[in-house]
Amino acid sequence: FFFFSKIYPSDQDTLTHNRSASFFLSLFDLPLTASIALNSNLTADNRHSSYHQSISNLGQPNDIKAINMKILVPIKRVIDYAIKIRVDPTKGAHGVQLNNVKMSMNPFCEIAIEEAIRIKESATKAKKDAEVVAVSIGPKQCGETIRTALAMGADRGIHIETKADVRGDYVDLQPWGIARLLKGVVEKEENVDLVLLGKQSIDSDCGQTGPLLAGFLNSPQATFAAKVTREDDGAFTVERETDTGTETIKLNHGRSPAVITCDLRLNTPRYPTMPNIMKAKKKPVQIISLEDMAKELGLDLDDVLKPKNEVVEVYEPPPRKEGEMVGSVDELIGKLREKGLVA
Amino acid sequence: ISYACFRPVDMMTSSHVFRRYSQNTFRFKKIINSSCFPIQNRSKIVELRAAVFHCYERSFGKIHAPVPSWHQWPLQQIQEGSPSLSIFAIRGIHNPSGKSSLRPPTIDDVQYFRSVLSRPERSILTNLMETPDSGGYSESGGELQRYNQDWTNIYHGSSSLVLRPQNTGEVSSILSYCRENYIGITPQGGNTGLCGGATPIKNEIILSLEDLNNIYHLDPCSGVLICDAGCILQNLHDYANEREFLLPLDIGSKGTCQIGGNISTNAGGQYFFRFGSLHGTVVGMEVVLPNGEVLHFNIDSGIDAEINAKQNNNNRSGSHRKDNTGYDLKHLFIGAEGTLGVVTKVAIACPSLPISRNSALLICNSYEKVLNVMKAAKEDLGEILSAIELMDWNTLQLVKTHGINTSDDSNGGSGLLGEILSAETYGKSNQLYLLVETQGSNLEHDNSKMDAFLTRLFESSTIDNGFLSQDSKQIMEMWKIRESCNPSVARAGCVYKFDVSVPIEEYMDVAHEVNNKLKAELNSRSEDDEITPVVCVWGHLADGNAHINIVPKLGTFDKDKSLAKLIESIVYAAVLSRKGSISAEHGLGQSKNSYLSKIKTESTLDMMYQVKKIFDPRGIMNPGKYLPRC
Repeated sequence: FFFFSKIYPSDQDTLTHNRSASFFLSLFDLPLTASIALNSNLTADNRHSSYHQSISNLGQPNDIKAINMKILVPIKRVIDYAIKIRVDPTKGAHGVQLNNVKMSMNPFCEIAIEEAIRIKESATKAKKDAEVVAVSIGPKQCGETIRTALAMGADRGIHIETKADVRGDYVDLQPWGIARLLKGVVEKEENVDLVLLGKQSIDSDCGQTGPLLAGFLNSPQATFAAKVTREDDGAFTVERETDTGTETIKLNHGRSPAVITCDLRLNTPRYPTMPNIMKAKKKPVQIISLEDMAKELGLDLDDVLKPKNEVVEVYEPPPRKEGEMVGSVDELIGKLREKGLVA
Repeated sequence: ISYACFRPVDMMTSSHVFRRYSQNTFRFKKIINSSCFPIQNRSKIVELRAAVFHCYERSFGKIHAPVPSWHQWPLQQIQEGSPSLSIFAIRGIHNPSGKSSLRPPTIDDVQYFRSVLSRPERSILTNLMETPDSGGYSESGGELQRYNQDWTNIYHGSSSLVLRPQNTGEVSSILSYCRENYIGITPQGGNTGLCGGATPIKNEIILSLEDLNNIYHLDPCSGVLICDAGCILQNLHDYANEREFLLPLDIGSKGTCQIGGNISTNAGGQYFFRFGSLHGTVVGMEVVLPNGEVLHFNIDSGIDAEINAKQNNNNRSGSHRKDNTGYDLKHLFIGAEGTLGVVTKVAIACPSLPISRNSALLICNSYEKVLNVMKAAKEDLGEILSAIELMDWNTLQLVKTHGINTSDDSNGGSGLLGEILSAETYGKSNQLYLLVETQGSNLEHDNSKMDAFLTRLFESSTIDNGFLSQDSKQIMEMWKIRESCNPSVARAGCVYKFDVSVPIEEYMDVAHEVNNKLKAELNSRSEDDEITPVVCVWGHLADGNAHINIVPKLGTFDKDKSLAKLIESIVYAAVLSRKGSISAEHGLGQSKNSYLSKIKTESTLDMMYQVKKIFDPRGIMNPGKYLPRC
């Protein structure tokens, strides 16, 4: 048995008074305590307390251990990389068809999750505890992507749910808004040591979310990581790939978490095995709507959703011109002469 | 000339023939009329020889080359003292049941083809030398090698002429010429067969269809795809996928094999369970008979007119999915392995492209559990189940060691194969691996079905472990493992391949029986240390089709004929005792045709010979293959 409830604030006036928390937990198999209804003043301090209270009220059988290291991994649900993209020219900026198309986790985000889990595993070997939290912003189906991350080995998930028609492929949600939301998550989570992101998503190809987030958090950052090592003092040494070679950067431990974006050669993501897939169903995922999250953080919803850059046109690349097959060297020379390319 | 009645011991008709066409009738009459006589005198032999020469020349008249020298003649040695000279002499000339009646191509044939074909510099590959006077040239034999040899490196032909016609008309003129001149011809597609059916036995002409590769039309309503027989299967897949259709045939060699060859061998493949055999999915065909006639079965004869296949022609294609008008002759050509005629165009019905595709790789530790998985798959996955493939532990070991791109990747991580082999439950040699694939039209529906299926299996401990694909890349990696079974084992040593149909419950029993018997036999024969033959089994579980591949000794590549016979006898005994089929999908070619007389009844076989005679009375199509004495 389980139950859940989801409460939205009715209007602006009741925002700061007697407003129930707008989190709810969605659980799949096990009976666990569900929603939390809190009456709290949503001042800056109380926001923190309500968030944390919600986590501590998860009521897991074993108490929350003192987490030694926390890694946050934002992941994105995109059109599967092997699918042929279809563009409807009549729909303008919304031309790319998303309906009934196979979607899966962004390949670079998979690499980020894999790296986070590897860091966690090496920490566990050293008898330290680590927690990997996967966070995603998108419609309801994003939950499946988060489950994949949990099946790979993440511990917990956070799903900022948007309405179904909000597009994540640069048309509606853009890196600025996403980075602001993620900054909010980092601050709420407290004690995040590392934020691992994919270097870019394969639909918008911006590559901006990581650097923007680092800017907002005033964090040290390293992009295009090909190797990540955690030092004993909590710093991260990153080898990054550039056009001219490999650069090694040390991100010192400080108040803000290190922000690292992952490149292709960092690792090969593991396959979720059956036992892990079963376990993942029981791992907790917090779901909060985009509107609520924005209000919590004091962000203007328009600021988050309205794109800073406007998509003017979307079209398919022109088809490649067919080549001509020739059967012998003589024919080739003949054709080249015809086209005036050889004497 | 009708040689149908020309039989070895039929003196009356043979004399009739010679009377009609012999120049030296008078002299010959004298000899023939006394049908059986002892030879006393060498001069009589010489006379008869001369007469026979003349008859041959006149009846096979169009040879422009000088009469071949005596030792090339298909005549048997005429011996002094033999009771019946003329019988020996005549038997060799045209024996319908002997391959020896056909002749190899000569330089004059090449000249003829040069004059008749539209692009001779492309269409003719030969190493026959012109005489120095005519100022010609000869191509190197190197290019011919890839046509003469199959990819398993077992079958080697010695053809000296490869023809690559550019359209159906050229195929027709080539075949009619060969028929008139009694030249054997071997049609060849992608040359990826596993029974040597596409490589010549001796020096027949190889007819390669690779230049017939136009794709004509895919009807968006009926899904019927019309294309030439030389189209590579992968290209057809891509073409159909772009238009939201799926080709109902998928096999490991799809990057090289051609649809004409697939049809001529009735290829099975991964989707056999879901879509059925080519007998069901091929709706139309254009064939060229050995006498040069072009027949159209449910395919528009004018489709050639749209030469530029890139144009989107809106013409009705003339290929319907249902057509019950008369004997459906195309079914004879499906699986005939090029012995009845040449397939030049194909119309195949394609289902819609499924949007959602999922695959899972499951690990079981016993065959009973595998059967339970299959049962659960059919029940839980139902209509979206598209393939169940089985691989055993030995196979996966070889794929790990010899497979390309399926093992560790460059940055030290391990691909899927590595993860399978390092999983906690790995290590037991009785483990069996299943690749289960679903395809459907609704993502959520398929995902929830797959979820329910896997949960049921895991909670009942039917599977030890498993992997579920999360995106397309992982689906392709799982299939890559399955598709590299064949090449990996071929790289591990000399492999003896078998493709058999057995009752599904006894699938692994066959493998165990073969393994035990073979081990016992090998060890009883040699005094060396214990020999452990490696018996690999993989295959299409739901079809009951097992590919049994035996590597007697890892690392050695020499083929041992006696060992081959021994292994064959063991495997076929195991299969036939369970009333299975010795060739489930690979066909007969030249490797299994001799068994046909043991597994078919006399009357069935007789009917097959009669069919062959109807289409190809002179026996020029793919001689030595398919039927035992052709």
